[in-house]
Amino acid sequence: MRSLLLVLVPLLPLLAGLVTVFAGRRLGPRVHLPAVVGIGAAAIAALLLLFTAGGASGTGHGTAAPVEHTVELWRWATIDGALTPADGSAPRPLSLGVTLRLDPLTATLLVVITSIGLLVAVYSIGYMHDDPDQPRFFALVSMFVFSMAMLVASSSFLLVYVFWEAVGACSYLLIGFWYRRPEAARAAKKAFLVNRVGDFGLAIAVFLLWLTYGTLDFHDTRLADGTLVPGILGAARLADPTAIVGGAIGTAICLLLLLAACGKSAQVPLHVWLPDAMEGPTPASALIHAATMVTAGVYLVTRCAPLFVAAPGALAVVALVGATTALVAGLIGTVQTDLKRVLAYSTISQLGYMFAALGTGTLGGFTAGIFHLVTHACFKALLFLGAGSVMHAMGGVIDMRRFGGLRTVMPVTAATFLVGALALAGVFPFAGFFSKDEILAALHSRGWPDAHASGHHDESPAAATPPAVRVATWDRRAAPPLIPVASGSAASHRAVAVSASGGAAADGPLDWLAGPRLYRTLFWMSLFTAGLTAFYTFRAVFMTFTGPLRLPPEAHGHGAHGHSPHGHDDHGPSHGGHGGHGATGHEPAGGHGAAASHESPPVMTRPLVILAVASALAGVVLFIGHGLARFLAATPSLAAANVAATAVPPVFHWDLAIQGTLAAAIGIALAAIGHYGRRSDGPSVERFLGPLQTLFARRFYFDEIEHAAVVRPLEWLAAVAATVDRVVIDGLVRSVAHVPVALGGVVRRFQGGVLQRYSVAGVVGVLGMLVALAWNLWL
Amino acid sequence: MTPATSPTTFALLTPEIILVIAALAVFLGGAFAGLRAGWLVALGGIVAALFVATVAAPADGVSGPLTIDGFSGFVRWLVLLLGALVALVQAGDGFRRAVLREAQPYQSTAEEAGVFLLLVAGLSLAAVANDLVLLFTGLELVSIPTAILLGLKRTDAAGQEAGLKYFFLSLVASSLFLYGVVCLYGIGGSTEMATIGARLRSAEPGTVVIGAALVPLAAGLILAGAAFRLAAFPLHFYAPDVYQGTSPGNAALLSTLPKVAGVIVLLRLAGLAIGPVAGAPVGYAATATLDLLWPAAAVLAAVSMTIGNVMALGQTNLRRLLACSSIAHAGYLLVGIAATAALGSSAATGGAAPGGAISGGGATLFYLATYAVATIGVFAALTYLGHRWPVWSATVPRPPREEASTIADLDGLSATNPIVAFAIAVCLLSLAGIPPLPGFWGKLSLVTSALEVDAGGWSPRRLAFVALAVTLVINAAIAAAYYLRIIAAIYFRSTDRGVQSDGGVGAGVGMIACLVLVGLFTIHPQGLFRAARRAGGAVLGARSTAGAPTLSSPVSAVATVAVDAAAAPEPRLP
Repeated sequence: MRSLLLVLVPLLPLLAGLVTVFAGRRLGPRVHLPAVVGIGAAAIAALLLLFTAGGASGTGHGTAAPVEHTVELWRWATIDGALTPADGSAPRPLSLGVTLRLDPLTATLLVVITSIGLLVAVYSIGYMHDDPDQPRFFALVSMFVFSMAMLVASSSFLLVYVFWEAVGACSYLLIGFWYRRPEAARAAKKAFLVNRVGDFGLAIAVFLLWLTYGTLDFHDTRLADGTLVPGILGAARLADPTAIVGGAIGTAICLLLLLAACGKSAQVPLHVWLPDAMEGPTPASALIHAATMVTAGVYLVTRCAPLFVAAPGALAVVALVGATTALVAGLIGTVQTDLKRVLAYSTISQLGYMFAALGTGTLGGFTAGIFHLVTHACFKALLFLGAGSVMHAMGGVIDMRRFGGLRTVMPVTAATFLVGALALAGVFPFAGFFSKDEILAALHSRGWPDAHASGHHDESPAAATPPAVRVATWDRRAAPPLIPVASGSAASHRAVAVSASGGAAADGPLDWLAGPRLYRTLFWMSLFTAGLTAFYTFRAVFMTFTGPLRLPPEAHGHGAHGHSPHGHDDHGPSHGGHGGHGATGHEPAGGHGAAASHESPPVMTRPLVILAVASALAGVVLFIGHGLARFLAATPSLAAANVAATAVPPVFHWDLAIQGTLAAAIGIALAAIGHYGRRSDGPSVERFLGPLQTLFARRFYFDEIEHAAVVRPLEWLAAVAATVDRVVIDGLVRSVAHVPVALGGVVRRFQGGVLQRYSVAGVVGVLGMLVALAWNLWL
Repeated sequence: MTPATSPTTFALLTPEIILVIAALAVFLGGAFAGLRAGWLVALGGIVAALFVATVAAPADGVSGPLTIDGFSGFVRWLVLLLGALVALVQAGDGFRRAVLREAQPYQSTAEEAGVFLLLVAGLSLAAVANDLVLLFTGLELVSIPTAILLGLKRTDAAGQEAGLKYFFLSLVASSLFLYGVVCLYGIGGSTEMATIGARLRSAEPGTVVIGAALVPLAAGLILAGAAFRLAAFPLHFYAPDVYQGTSPGNAALLSTLPKVAGVIVLLRLAGLAIGPVAGAPVGYAATATLDLLWPAAAVLAAVSMTIGNVMALGQTNLRRLLACSSIAHAGYLLVGIAATAALGSSAATGGAAPGGAISGGGATLFYLATYAVATIGVFAALTYLGHRWPVWSATVPRPPREEASTIADLDGLSATNPIVAFAIAVCLLSLAGIPPLPGFWGKLSLVTSALEVDAGGWSPRRLAFVALAVTLVINAAIAAAYYLRIIAAIYFRSTDRGVQSDGGVGAGVGMIACLVLVGLFTIHPQGLFRAARRAGGAVLGARSTAGAPTLSSPVSAVATVAVDAAAAPEPRLP
């Protein structure tokens, strides 16, 4: 039953996609049916799986017996003797199985992917209503849900690679959905090329993993002759921390995996593709570029947690990259005027948060990262869909300076957007508050390890004697009164910190990075980012929904149907003629029927309401009793010996919660001072930033720097290479290429078509062969 | 080993008997009723034979004039499968002709189908033959019907020329092969393969002298006979002319079924020399055979693939191009044969083969299957396409239709016939060896088995095989050029020709079947590969090492229980 459900989750969207591809045109106006039904059924299956995936944990301090269930669908290929291990043991086959796995991490993500996928599909019924290419859209969404489900359910690095590429392909095709628009085509190409850098890292990482571990499977497998091959993340290996390769090789693998994650999850310096990816249809942005695909990197790092914990240097880089990304993207987000781009930078920033949490390398950090992933998926999908609703009503205009005061005309959108913004800003009791607190706590625990072990927030170096345990608890029942356990875990926690700071077992090339000082810096950066987040989020809320009601001309009737959402300054009369025929491949605009802007249809607002409820409640529901953290702790990767050793008792850090809330409050207050009730095109509070505003608005010149540092030299190199190629190589190759052709000419001369010559040539050839053989044997 | 008595022999030959009965029915029906459904009867016969061969697969270990071991079971299954696919295509071909000559009704369908059934029966017989006479008979039962089919299918001058050329050259090849058989008889003093094998491997002084005299002749001439059927150098000359001059359906036949015959002959020969017991002491004649076979096969392989590919580069006619490419594929197959012989030789002199089994045979059979399915797929698509005609309007008189025979005729096919275009593209990519299509797995297994030769150290033989593997890879690159040229024409050029597919339903079904098989072997190559490896192991001596009866066909893996039950009461004579 469990296996069947696990297979159904990816299979149903795949079938839906195939049906849409082959019968899409015939379905006419009901073209959304296969996708909605398929993804909906998959969501139900995923929910059922959630109840079967849990472990028998509940011991209270985060450690649990690993729960793993694998289903081998078939064995794709076995190549005998593909690897001769260095230790002289028998050659091993490269065995490529198609195996699905179920564990708490997979189950959690499957639920997120399918349920958000379902809501987005339903929303798209309204949003894509006028688009002539609906079959392509729904087919791509279904295929994306299939690929993403396979990505998180695959139990082998090779399959992860395959579906890593598959989600990338879906993303590429959806960004370029309106491929007739040059910006969309360019954005798709940019996303593709930037992701290539990351994918390259993943490919090399997979090769290295194969050479290092002699398998690509996560789980333990048996060869045909019965010998056990311990999987990279199998029970046999995870029980024994020494079986995980650290040092230079381990660090290299982890850094390459991180490179892959940076590409897919838009982390600095590979984040530049995500803002441009907003050229795609907004529902696709919500699903792929906010809620699910971009979290693939977070999933990958969490899945490989034992490998990362064995390489503290790489972990420090993860945290550094994450916190830097969070800060940089947050700063850029403060001056964006395009609503979707604000959300895009916010996504990058929040993903950076997740990476910072993962980079702590503690069990609490990993679970906090996934916790934030889940809550972020809810509220960011909500915000994107809300932005889409605004865009739908504004006739494709998304520049916040061109509209304002929309709360009166779009009450549902405004209310739900506000809920999403509160969740994103981390205001109690909305979802983001809890997950953000966990992340700050994880960073804090690495920056001030003794404070966490002892409960005092002093910054003195580690005391020699085991500190007394006094933990502040928010939920008495959840907090363990188990002093021995707590002190034990505190000690082991410090062991990790010591090894991380260049002590005992550390021998990776970057391990010197992983000291408390780094994490202290990152903690303050993250706290500052929390304030920034609140500021830019509410800046967007106030600019869009408060102040005097202003509507762009496109929002009125048919006049501007099919406007480019980003071409805000060139809406001349020449575009007026576009109205009516939706075949131009532009962003669908409002105005089918209504003469003025209006609230979106119920098929669009209902998903918003559902997501708003989820955004409001997900945090507290998943936080009570640390339910999600305990559930996730049974994931084999997180129950691994070296990861479980970092577990600390779950506590609620009042001080951190207060700090985080203060930061959010300051951000919201600043945004209110600058934008509440004002015309959104008026002077803004950001002007006080001075030259910094230009810096942020130009996105720290990342695009320009990368253009100058990477693209330009490559172009230059390409030009040189092209010249060399033309002059030297081409001449050489042409002459080489002439060899087969010329040889062909010679050979063809024998094909004269005369039967007698054929027989003579054949017999002569055979005689020659016989003479050679006889010569060989007799002489 | 159970010597097969007459009743059991008949029981073992049930599939072939079904084929012959179907052939007779087609001939008679054609004479009296002008049976247009001849191909349907043929297809039914082949499917029935396939069913019998699969479900009622007899237990291995029967020996006599016929042998049912893992090898013959697998090859018979492959032959019948390919036969069914080609019959589908041929059926389409017939319909195409009927459409082509509206004025002159197409009469010879029945005879074609009957002759084709005999051909399949002959090939199936060659697969199970354990006697040189029976083997030769089976092979001739392939050659002669092929020549007849070539003559029947196309009544124009080109068709007649093709038929005649093939007929005469097959006579030359058959006589060469027969001389080789005579030499084997001279060594063994018997036509029974088991006896010949035992004599080859015996270390008696008399055998050594006779062996020394006759082994080069036997090995060389049998290789020559097989080379004609494989369309390998130096007996490949007929292929381009004959393919071009005949119909796509016949080209599908020519490029697959005779190649199976060639592989049967060469693997049987290697099997005779290697013997049933791995690592047993081996006589001079046997080692000499293997040591002569591998360099000869390696040279023929290198020359064939190079000649085939460079010739194909300049071709514009599709069938001629695919003929050249089939020469190249014969070269790839010979790589597997050469590796088999070399691995067998080192197993005989230096103990067990790596991994306990000789991988070359399995790799060859696997490649053969993947190649054949993809090739039939391309020809089925071309048959199904039939003709394409320029778009005309009501005001302009309808221009004449042209048979789709050149690359230019496929221009813009993706727009007019997307499914046919997709089928051709997938099959061609598989032939080019693009991962993860089955052709890639096939080439990979061939290269792997070539690199297994003397893998321990660096001997001249290892160098030779490394060079051979490199040649194979370079040739695959050259081949990709012309395959991709066709795909580029299909997908990136535009056309003024309209949709046309008058080749008949049969060819369409055959095309889809091949596409499905290619897809199946892409996502699950393991099943076919395991079956092929088991078959290759069976012919090369793993027979006696395997305790349990091996299954003869991949499908019968499902029917393990049934086969075991059937095997239990098998009468065993002392």
